[in-house]
Amino acid sequence: MKWRVVELETYDACMNMALDEVAGESVRNSSIPTIRFYNYKPSAVSIGYFQGIRDEVNLEICRELGIDCVRRFTGGGAVFHDCEGEITYSVAAPLNIFPKNIIESYRIICGWIVSGLERIDIKAEFRPVNDILVGGKKISGSAQTRRGGVLFQHGTLLYNLDLETMFSVLNVSRQKISGKMIKDARERVTCISNHCDAGKEDVYEALVRAFTKGKDFEIGTWSRDELTMARELALKKYGSDEWMYLR
Amino acid sequence: MIACAKQKVREGKLVKVEIEYDESIKKLKITGDFFMYPEDALERIEKTIVGLKKDAGMETIASKIRSIVEIEDVQMIGISAESLARVIREALG
Repeated sequence: MKWRVVELETYDACMNMALDEVAGESVRNSSIPTIRFYNYKPSAVSIGYFQGIRDEVNLEICRELGIDCVRRFTGGGAVFHDCEGEITYSVAAPLNIFPKNIIESYRIICGWIVSGLERIDIKAEFRPVNDILVGGKKISGSAQTRRGGVLFQHGTLLYNLDLETMFSVLNVSRQKISGKMIKDARERVTCISNHCDAGKEDVYEALVRAFTKGKDFEIGTWSRDELTMARELALKKYGSDEWMYLR
Repeated sequence: MIACAKQKVREGKLVKVEIEYDESIKKLKITGDFFMYPEDALERIEKTIVGLKKDAGMETIASKIRSIVEIEDVQMIGISAESLARVIREALG
């Protein structure tokens, strides 16, 4: 089985979610497993499928700062995607090439990130369900879904931390954005730049090598049909109020 | 009566329940940072709770949820039928 690797690309939040959905569709329709790396521009907040957007996101501040907001089709928590401060990945593949056990399948894909971090001399560990820790602090979170014979997982790897913006867009009242809270977060969350001098490009190269190790793969692009489908989904689904305010 | 309850449940994720009821449950919304496959099963879980008496016990609520979980082979991560039932029961007072 040959994997397709779509190299680091930058889109807005709706298009990123749409391309992730299309990647899953392409596995269903033509069994092409895809690994993709991407960034969000503008920066964005993504919320889990089951979250209430008004509970999680300060929409007014997002508007003020020009930060997008999108509901994912996967569960999990709200994530601030800083356009400069992270690398996001997704994996879409036939379900039957992964263990049926959900935690074990997270362990495999998160293991690729752990291996990528090893390549830049950062010792990381997978913590079930869906986190990767360095020195006991979270550096990466992922979310998985399974549907129609397809396993789909996406996640973020923190390169830099902008906790002040993170706390202003995730729904914590202004009064609560205290020094203590940011200090607490620094004790729970970390990023690559806290542990090594590797540039973002080096981190990306390390991830590509780790994700593709032992796989038959080719560097590929989206087909014209996939891009058309994604643009339509971005506009009609992920950009719609119906989807945004689903819960 | 409209009520709300929020708990970090035993399995690790946060569950929030907003519920509208008089003698029976009229409306229910479950939100949180948990995982459930297929995702749209949550709507069916919410629907199956609507109509239950407001004093329905934990076990009654949990068995309603389990029935959807079993029929649809729903997989839950970070929550369980029992935890969901506990938060719903707490919201009902």
